[in-house]
Amino acid sequence: MQTKVVQNQSDPAAQAPSVQDTVIHTVGLTKTFGHVNALQGIDLTVPRNSIVGFLGPNGSGKTTAIKLLLGLSRPTAGKATLFGMDSIQESLAIRSRVGYLAQDPRFYTHMTARETLEFTARFFYSGPAEAIQARIDETLELVGLADKADRPTKGFSGGERQRLGIAQAQVNYPDLLILDEPAAALDPVGRRDVLDVMERLRAYTTIFYSTHILDDVERVSDYVAILDHGRMVASSPTATLLDGDSTTYELTVRGDEQAVLRALRTHSWVSNIATASQNGSTALTISVTDEGAAETDLLRSVIATDDIVVTAFGRKHFNLEDVFLQLVKEPRE
Amino acid sequence: MTSTTTTVTAESSLVPVHTTGWRGGLANLVRKELGQWWGTRMWWIQTLIWVVLLNGVATVVMLEGAGMPAGEVVTEAVQTFLLMGAMTIGIGVVLTIQGAVVGEKELGTAAWVMSKPVSRASFVLGKLIGYSVGFLATALVIPSTVFVVQAQFLLPVPLDYGRFALAVGIIALSVLFYVVLTIGLGCMFKGRGPVAGIGIGLVLVGQFFKGMLPLPLVMATPWLLGDVAGSFALATTPDFNRMVPIIVTTTAAVALVYLAIWRFQREEF
Repeated sequence: MQTKVVQNQSDPAAQAPSVQDTVIHTVGLTKTFGHVNALQGIDLTVPRNSIVGFLGPNGSGKTTAIKLLLGLSRPTAGKATLFGMDSIQESLAIRSRVGYLAQDPRFYTHMTARETLEFTARFFYSGPAEAIQARIDETLELVGLADKADRPTKGFSGGERQRLGIAQAQVNYPDLLILDEPAAALDPVGRRDVLDVMERLRAYTTIFYSTHILDDVERVSDYVAILDHGRMVASSPTATLLDGDSTTYELTVRGDEQAVLRALRTHSWVSNIATASQNGSTALTISVTDEGAAETDLLRSVIATDDIVVTAFGRKHFNLEDVFLQLVKEPRE
Repeated sequence: MTSTTTTVTAESSLVPVHTTGWRGGLANLVRKELGQWWGTRMWWIQTLIWVVLLNGVATVVMLEGAGMPAGEVVTEAVQTFLLMGAMTIGIGVVLTIQGAVVGEKELGTAAWVMSKPVSRASFVLGKLIGYSVGFLATALVIPSTVFVVQAQFLLPVPLDYGRFALAVGIIALSVLFYVVLTIGLGCMFKGRGPVAGIGIGLVLVGQFFKGMLPLPLVMATPWLLGDVAGSFALATTPDFNRMVPIIVTTTAAVALVYLAIWRFQREEF
């Protein structure tokens, strides 16, 4: 049910993005490895200054899509543009405006954290040396590696490498941050810190990140794109996705439950009612076929029923886990 | 990570890099590759290996030739140094560099670097420049300098330094060829096996079988560069046109550079 609604919103023509407002735009992006279809015609639009969570089960094609965006891999078909520039023809210009964190970030082990950041910064800035060092210092401070700045990265733990990865990704004030599983190797505190950093950077940059931690997406993402088996099954503002469709309502009442049911069944646009009773209250999940009629008459007709107290009413709200599981389950079924 | 407020460096205070096209990121990559040689213990380990090996053997030859005619001792010492240099440095290059590109592809550092404003050509050229400078300095220039000092003390007649320098230049061409070959193979293959196998195989086949193969074929390889270098150093004339191996090796090295860049531009990470 949700799939249909969100898929409609993923129609690139319907979104009609403008180059100024859009950072990433893909049309029919496809990648095939031999007989394996890793990505199958992805249409994706990422608005400027948004945080977009890119979700999908393992092997769904998230990393493949990210590598196509960065020009690390070539699409078999379709096209990706970043800042209005072609991901293959103008890859160098694109990469000068992007910061990237790989899923399992690796660095030159003979370099210290500071040297790694200096090496990264020198791709973007030629000087002055003091300003570059100042930028490196504040970046190290931001990710909590200031005390390990002069240690070779050879001895870094997975979490420390992840922090260094985030540091190097944003050392160049990128217009777009592409983060592949930024919180995967971090403990809960580190994960929270990463989300804080992302929220702080929101004002300056667009963040496109893949993850499988649904709580994180729900907390910080403005938009969600869900990939499954190489297909985009949802692409929508997070709030819209969690609101679900507008044809299901939740109602909680105390009193004569049968009277409520009788009142609701008088409406031809009520297609289904599910009930669950607990502690003297009854929760009703009501499916309707006419959203307009439901908006105006559903609650009114229940309140008009004698001996009934309405304790809660609203459009059914989903959590991301519900939505995700439903979306990635349906094609398999 | 800390949530304390830090002073944020204004981006406007930084001077952006404007290099684009095939040279994008090249200067930074060369700096990094040279840093890997000269900023770590790699340089003195390599220097130690080559001085002990090449100059050690040369010392033995010079000392053992004490009773021989002066010209023969010089010939023996110079030829040993140059022929050994041509072969062993080739093997050393392949063994040391076999993972330079393949290792980065396996580990993911190549993908990381390529996510920055870096051209694929710069990645390959950075490796070529870094390893060429490193090997030429530690395996050739330093041992050759030591050889000249040794010659002053241990050889009965002085060396012709100009001719010797020319000979060292010929060996440098051989070293450059094997650097280019190994980096090129690294761009073409996904594993270290083919890179090391083909590289070392080429050196050894040339060393042990060049006498059994037709001369025109051998001349079209870098295998005779040691002999060419010896002939320049000792002012002798070999029974082949010594310009042929020089031109062929130079041409092959340039072609390999183009091939390596062409292949790396098609690499998918």
